[in-house]
Amino acid sequence: MAIFMITLPLLGAVLVSIVGYLKPHWLPWGALVPLLASGVLGCMLIGRIPSDGYISYHLGNWSVPLGIELRVDYLALFLMLLICALGLLALIFSRRYIVKEVSAGRMTAYYVLILLLSGGLMGFVASGDIFNLFVFMEIVALSSYGLVAISANSRAVRAALRYLLMGAPASIIILLGIALLYMATGSLNMAELAGRIGQSGYREILIASFVLFVVGFGVKAALFPLHLWLPDAHSIAPSPVSALLSGLVVEVSIFGILRIAYSVFTPHVGNLTSATSNALAVLAAAGVIFGGVMALLQKDLKLMLAYSTISHVGYIFLGLTAFNAEGLTGAMYHMLDHGLAKACMFLCAGSFIYIKGFRRIEDLKGAWRQMPWTCFAFGLAAFSLVGIPPTAGFISKWYLILGNVKAGNWVYVVVLLLGSLLGAFYCFRILYYMFFQPGKEGAWTPRPADVPPSMLIPIWILAVATVFFGLFSGLVIPSLLKAAGLLI
Amino acid sequence: MNLSHNYLYAAAMLLFCIGLYNVIVRRNIVKKLIGLNIMETSVFFFYISLGYTRNGVAPVAGAGADPTRMVNPVPQVLVLTGIIVAVGVTALALSMVILLHRKYGTLDTDQIMRMARQEETQAAREEGN
Repeated sequence: MAIFMITLPLLGAVLVSIVGYLKPHWLPWGALVPLLASGVLGCMLIGRIPSDGYISYHLGNWSVPLGIELRVDYLALFLMLLICALGLLALIFSRRYIVKEVSAGRMTAYYVLILLLSGGLMGFVASGDIFNLFVFMEIVALSSYGLVAISANSRAVRAALRYLLMGAPASIIILLGIALLYMATGSLNMAELAGRIGQSGYREILIASFVLFVVGFGVKAALFPLHLWLPDAHSIAPSPVSALLSGLVVEVSIFGILRIAYSVFTPHVGNLTSATSNALAVLAAAGVIFGGVMALLQKDLKLMLAYSTISHVGYIFLGLTAFNAEGLTGAMYHMLDHGLAKACMFLCAGSFIYIKGFRRIEDLKGAWRQMPWTCFAFGLAAFSLVGIPPTAGFISKWYLILGNVKAGNWVYVVVLLLGSLLGAFYCFRILYYMFFQPGKEGAWTPRPADVPPSMLIPIWILAVATVFFGLFSGLVIPSLLKAAGLLI
Repeated sequence: MNLSHNYLYAAAMLLFCIGLYNVIVRRNIVKKLIGLNIMETSVFFFYISLGYTRNGVAPVAGAGADPTRMVNPVPQVLVLTGIIVAVGVTALALSMVILLHRKYGTLDTDQIMRMARQEETQAAREEGN
């Protein structure tokens, strides 16, 4: 059944392209159907996967050495549900919003690409075979290059080409890493690799392979010195696309490193991976500070959110490199929280652009008079991103800091706290402008005239979800701890 | 582990470095894309040479086929998939290059950046007025 979660959006993409050609009015609703079906299947799978087990599906019933295996364990299902949810909410938001940025001739392409992106992300997360991981990563990458360029104005095409010129070499570097792994072990299946890497005598090849994976996935995940494509790409893409890119694509690439570092190069072979992990942690810490400082300096709202993504990617990496169950749980929960909160903030930015065309932070002064719903949702998401107690961000940062304290990395604890402080500065600056500053003359109407409900409902579902997952984190955290403990 | 055993891998890595150099250094976008294709080809070459056995025959099963002399077919399958991916990426990149050429009239990245910066300062000036 897990296979249908992945193939339904992919097949749906093909069907939606036909629907878009014949009956363009049906496009937004038609695009929702495959993702809804995947979401329902995902919910049905929740009870079936114990937190210390997994579901394994062999494609075509070919057994493991020859065939491709899909392995959905608790972490993978967690992310697949997040992908379905964010994809659905972005699609609902797009119905009204996308007319503003994408010309009518490209609507079909937009919906097809979003479905391909969702299907590709789910396949990436569920993959149990390392080359299958590469194929789905390419599906995700190509759809995101297309989605960044979809509005076809020159800035968008330049940003997409820059993204491509950094992302495609990164994919090739990952392919080379897979080649080195195959050379050293003779297998491509992740479970078999975990066994064979410990026994293989080819030390240097395996170290080189891990470094290549970190560099390749690091470009895709916007690790600090390799982040140069992200600010332009995420700020110029249409807002629902930015929500999906920042909230999912970047995080799924980090999940790729998680899979490589924990399920393939298990912590038993720490002598192979420890030097690279230390370097990764240093770069991640630098990224946290860099992203925070650059976000403070930005005047454009979406550019600020993009630099904030770089900072939060650093947090998740610092959770991964702590190498204990709490750090890994913090990293996974931060993926959830950052996905929800950042998607909410990008959709709110989209609302401001939809109603008024405002992109600069200064133009948001006094916004709450006209758009109170959007502003309050943005405020909730900002609280979650900073890490204020009842929200999910607090829980995730708690576990991140706990993981690093247990590992004894006091420098990274200080970096995490500093990053939260910077986050407070740049998020609360916007809240101050929105709520406590008077607007320019005639910029905002005194009576509320907010975005239509089909755009407000996704924003508020996301904002409420960040608080929900903070208050009721007991639903997820114990299972995450158990699943993470298995990997260590 | 000397070069006489690993000359194929060394050649593949040399091509990889040539491709990466072109992607980074060249100003013409089409040359960058050609560099990307050289990188991709070099990795495919690396894969194929993984499966090579000396005096090997094609891995075709049939009467009288000797499996111990066959070249490993698994990397060849991976390379086929990789070629498809590379073609897709190149096609998408070239369509973006066409759009850029239509807008800016040039393929030189430095000139495009200069023109784009002029556009943006002009737009900022008009907005200020």
